[in-house]
Amino acid sequence: MKRMVSLVLPLLVLLAAAASCGGGGSSNGVVNITVWHGYEDVEGKAINAAAKRFNDTHPKIHVTVQNYGNADYALQKVLTAIRGGAEPDIAYLYGSWAANIARSPAAVDLAPMIQSDPSIHWDDFWPAERQAVQVGPKIIGVPALVDNLALVYNKKLFDQAGIPYPSDNWTWDDFRAAAKKLTDPSSKQFGWAYVADGSEDTVWRFDALLWQAGGDILNSDNTKAEFNSPAGVKAATLLQQMATVDHSVYLDNGNGNYANLFNSGKIAMLFTGPWDLSSFTDVNYGVQILPGDLNHQTISGPDQWVMFDKGSAQKQAAWTFLKWFTSPQESLQWSLDTGDLPIRQSTTKLAQYSAYTKKYPGVGTFVVNLGNAAKARPVIPTYNEISQAMGQAIQAVLLGKAQPKQALDSAAQQVDSVLASGQ
Amino acid sequence: MIRRAARSEHVSGWLFVLPAVALIGLFGIVPIIWGAILSLQQNDLLTPPKWVGLDNYRTLIHDPVFRASVHRTIVYTLLFVPISVGGALAIAILLNRRIRFSRFYRTAVFIPVATSTVATGIIFNWLLEPTYGVANYLLGQIGLGPYGYFQDPDQALYSIVAMTVWGWIGFDVIVYLAALQGVPEELVEAAKLDGAGRWAIFRNVVFPLLSPTTLFLVVWSTINALQVFDEIYVTTHGGPLQATTVMVYYLFNQAFELFHGGYAAAIAYVLFLMTLVLSVVQLWIGNRRVYYS
Repeated sequence: MKRMVSLVLPLLVLLAAAASCGGGGSSNGVVNITVWHGYEDVEGKAINAAAKRFNDTHPKIHVTVQNYGNADYALQKVLTAIRGGAEPDIAYLYGSWAANIARSPAAVDLAPMIQSDPSIHWDDFWPAERQAVQVGPKIIGVPALVDNLALVYNKKLFDQAGIPYPSDNWTWDDFRAAAKKLTDPSSKQFGWAYVADGSEDTVWRFDALLWQAGGDILNSDNTKAEFNSPAGVKAATLLQQMATVDHSVYLDNGNGNYANLFNSGKIAMLFTGPWDLSSFTDVNYGVQILPGDLNHQTISGPDQWVMFDKGSAQKQAAWTFLKWFTSPQESLQWSLDTGDLPIRQSTTKLAQYSAYTKKYPGVGTFVVNLGNAAKARPVIPTYNEISQAMGQAIQAVLLGKAQPKQALDSAAQQVDSVLASGQ
Repeated sequence: MIRRAARSEHVSGWLFVLPAVALIGLFGIVPIIWGAILSLQQNDLLTPPKWVGLDNYRTLIHDPVFRASVHRTIVYTLLFVPISVGGALAIAILLNRRIRFSRFYRTAVFIPVATSTVATGIIFNWLLEPTYGVANYLLGQIGLGPYGYFQDPDQALYSIVAMTVWGWIGFDVIVYLAALQGVPEELVEAAKLDGAGRWAIFRNVVFPLLSPTTLFLVVWSTINALQVFDEIYVTTHGGPLQATTVMVYYLFNQAFELFHGGYAAAIAYVLFLMTLVLSVVQLWIGNRRVYYS
């Protein structure tokens, strides 16, 4: 019996060691840090190039960037990694998860570092970005991306239909009428596209409409749902009319087909962000701020780099990397490489900034549109449940399975009970 | 005494299986026990857990989404198992005859099994796309459709059944083919001499000899069908309007999208018990009817 124990124990230790061996640590005075991201294609190449630039200029630190796949499911992967003690030093996470990740003891609160190191120039980040990483007194990440939704349209399809291009004072009615005219069932051409999978992708486009009509997601102290207000019903009715009466909306099932279809001239208008522009290589597109109701508000979806605690040397190295990577100069390089909006305000004042707006037609409008991003989604741990309830309601309306008021009321009821139980 | 025990075959036997036992213990038994503990907690996987006893199970009973997911899982299983096992038997009998290119057909039937489910999902997403997909185009040529497939709440679950049958039937076919090769020629000959026709031979000789295989495939397919997840994850994400939220998808949603770890573990345990009971019943019925030569 004793013998067996002496055999099993080393084996278990070996297994445990193999399981926890996830890179990192330091050797020869070089600190190795790992960065997880979900960048593909152009952006994937850009981050590899950035890591190389950093490693070439920082001999004491070695950065390894790893792609974790679809960023939609990054939080699960990071949480699983934390459980197994194999978390990265830095991970790209969506802004909507800030409140969740802030509850994990493994995530580093950056507030003290930001306070003691003025060289980060924290106030230089856009206000929407700083709002998104602020969870109570904690600052849970460094801004990685700022974007917003604008109206991207295919100029050729507008010309063919004899419709003037969208203006910055377009109303919902103007928009709806144009979408209808730009729809042609015989050639399978649609005026607009909407992601109708019920995910956050479905919800945030609705949020913009809700705010334009004067509504809000929750009340001011986040205790009760408010999206089923008359403003919410008005926004959902616009979606219902366009999807089920005009049939002018291509309903994307969440697999991103809309971008390919827009690029092949099958869809005339999109509510989308600057991240899609680099894939629209085959069409001559224009960018305009969103059509409006009471106002022309948009929604901003700032994402962040979250740091995980792997010891003070690792933390210091990760901080050095993030400071370097989000500096105005690197931020401009990133924007030039990928088309993403500059994450710092001062980047727009650099001499080479005009090269960026020239290279990516339309991004100028997105930068201006940051001024229309007045409201933010609630930064609370139950946000995912709120999003899921709203997503189901909007999907039901788009598919013609429920009436706007009825769908939003039942979602609001679910949200109220989630907010009341606080979990 | 001890020395004799140490020298006996037990010890060396245990030593030989030790690596396997240790691995199964670590990655099989430990998670099963840990899952049971988790199901008695309120655990968001981020902050320290709280003990809640059987509360998760009590909530489950009254959760309409969970009950609907159980219903969908059963509908899926009742469709998937007979279609894939019965279909496989038919295909195996066709392929067991001496025909030209039979090796090619056998390979073709098996290829979907060897293809990753993610690739299968992406392909079906495009094939079954309602507006631009090939399926609706071809059906349109003969005056049918258009259908919504994955985007229609009334068709999504059946589309998943079709896709998964296509993806997994090859495995059943190969197992049946192996079993058909094992049917003794002399029994078939004897039946022929007694004047039995093709159907009589199949019904009274071949099918009974295949019964151990059929039992294995039914039990194995049922276990797999109850746990269907990957194909749904890459195509419909449980939608539209939760039409394909089966038990494991709901578990995933609760655990990794809403961070209700304890609740998800309780779902896993209900699923485990369902699988156990179904398998025991199937084996019990099977053992009374199966013919082992």
